[in-house]
Amino acid sequence: MDWLIEFPSLGRRDLSTFRQTIDEGFLNFSRTFGESLEAFFSPLLKFLIWFENLLTNAPWPLVIGAIALLAWLGSRSWKITVGTIAAFVVIGYFGMWEDTMATLAMISVATFVCIAVGIPIGILMARSNIAQRIVTPILDVMQTIPSFVYLIPVVMLLGIGKVPGLLAVCIYALPPIVRLTNLGIRLVDQDVMEAAEAFGASAREKLFGVQIPLALPNIFAGVNQTIMMALSMVVIASMIGVKGLGTPVLRAISNQYLALGLMNGLAIVALAIIFDRVSQTYGKRLQAYRERGHG
Amino acid sequence: MKNKKRFASNVVATSVLALGTMAGAAFASDECGSVTIAEMNWASASLLANIDAIILEEGYGCDVDIISGDTTPTFTSMSEKGEPDLAPELWANGVREPLYAAIEDGRIVSALNGPITGLGEGWWVTKKFTEMHPEIDTVEKMLAHPELVPYVEDESKGAFMGCPAGWGCQLTNANLFRAFDMEEKGWVLVDPGSAAGLDGSIAKAVNRDEAWFGYYWSPTAIIGKYDLQMLPFEVEFAGAENWDGCIAQSVDNCADPQPTAWTESEVHSIVTSEFAAENAVTMGYLANRVFPGAEMNAMLVYMNDNQATGEDAAYEFLATKEDVWTKWVPADVAEKVKDAL
Repeated sequence: MDWLIEFPSLGRRDLSTFRQTIDEGFLNFSRTFGESLEAFFSPLLKFLIWFENLLTNAPWPLVIGAIALLAWLGSRSWKITVGTIAAFVVIGYFGMWEDTMATLAMISVATFVCIAVGIPIGILMARSNIAQRIVTPILDVMQTIPSFVYLIPVVMLLGIGKVPGLLAVCIYALPPIVRLTNLGIRLVDQDVMEAAEAFGASAREKLFGVQIPLALPNIFAGVNQTIMMALSMVVIASMIGVKGLGTPVLRAISNQYLALGLMNGLAIVALAIIFDRVSQTYGKRLQAYRERGHG
Repeated sequence: MKNKKRFASNVVATSVLALGTMAGAAFASDECGSVTIAEMNWASASLLANIDAIILEEGYGCDVDIISGDTTPTFTSMSEKGEPDLAPELWANGVREPLYAAIEDGRIVSALNGPITGLGEGWWVTKKFTEMHPEIDTVEKMLAHPELVPYVEDESKGAFMGCPAGWGCQLTNANLFRAFDMEEKGWVLVDPGSAAGLDGSIAKAVNRDEAWFGYYWSPTAIIGKYDLQMLPFEVEFAGAENWDGCIAQSVDNCADPQPTAWTESEVHSIVTSEFAAENAVTMGYLANRVFPGAEMNAMLVYMNDNQATGEDAAYEFLATKEDVWTKWVPADVAEKVKDAL
């Protein structure tokens, strides 16, 4: 009855050959295409470096002023603007300014890339059932696969540093914006779509004039989730050499520096809350017509 | 499978020994009693412990027990309770003072200082790099050429890959970076973030024939697999005071680091004094058992590639590297071990 207890697995040697073949294949791929891939991402790298230098080298009052202005333009709320200024002053006072700026640069660019890539994919998924069937399992993989499984291949391809860090963040943070864009558009009332058709709206007009505006609450929930997940990846990204708030957290973890870990962890939380509140209130303002419409 | 084989060969070996004893051919002083060997929880020590176990058991007829351990608890137990008998690879860094005290008091005997050659920490470059730039054969010469390893985020600087955030070696590297004025020389100290990041950066550089310069340590599978070459320092070791009082401290506690070679890693095969007094034969074997660093790294690569345990790797080593280990033992013992494999 041995064959019932022991699973008929591939022999140890075959398994090892199998793994080695895949590894070699990847190494060959990296040897052949690594350099061109690096060249492809080099504008992104340049931009990331430029943006980080801009934030770290600019006078701090100017940076706080610019962030406060953005917060105000986004939220039109005094409370949020003052809270933002206070958070950044405290962060600077506790000596975390440079790391915070590095993280801020990384997260802003990552969010921007995710939105720019994610919303079109979401729209495509909403318009085609085949696309949805193909993309959904890919999103599942991106969200659940342990990050180090793809981090090491990414490092082998692109080295350590900002670009692989950005890719790692985006692999994890992209799915919510895609999913919620898809969902939002699919949830738009069929009657409304029929009415738009009856008025002779073109496909383009239907998408940009009806579907996307009506899907905005969901899309903004997606943007919000994407930002949150990007921030939660800060520590993982610093494990492949991304500078920022993650590095002191790693140092704190391996040396049991409780205060250092807590301070930098809370700085990440502060960034998350600011991003969240500003993007949420901005989303709400965009949909202000809804409340007006219902009187 | 391996276990069964080992068991069977044990039976053969013991019965051969029993016959020998009955024939009255054995000499009491040459007989090996029971030995407990500490198998530390990292790959090279595990391999060494298993090789010792097989050779002592099959070659010398000892009754061997392997127990798992870690540096501090194993050392403490050996020095205070006389158990286990043998620790094949004990790094002195963590237990330097108590170790010297125990040796002085005669509780512990160092059977061999440096069981593996070429071990320790240092600054390494890729093999390809040494072939392309044979004139750069010391750290100091390397430091004069940051342009050979351009930093991806600022091409005008050279990238020196340091030690992951939070490790002790991060401080050491940061202080040496300052001691050698590397910033003025055009270098950037890159933090790889984690062991995986550090290994990944090496793998990428070697695989793509790119230059790499940074910190690593031996014996490790990475050094063996990617054949990194350690660059020696021109400067001498500048004294323990500079090293322990400054270089190994946090940057704030090290105001004026002096350039220095890396502190030597001291590794011993230690035994309890009781065991040393009673087992002249084993002590003779241990004193001879110097593992060439390159062979060790190659075995670590084997262990890594095949996910082999220390025991698997020990059999592999004894089966394939006869030219290495037969030099450690007399010919008749070598024959016995070979028969047992």
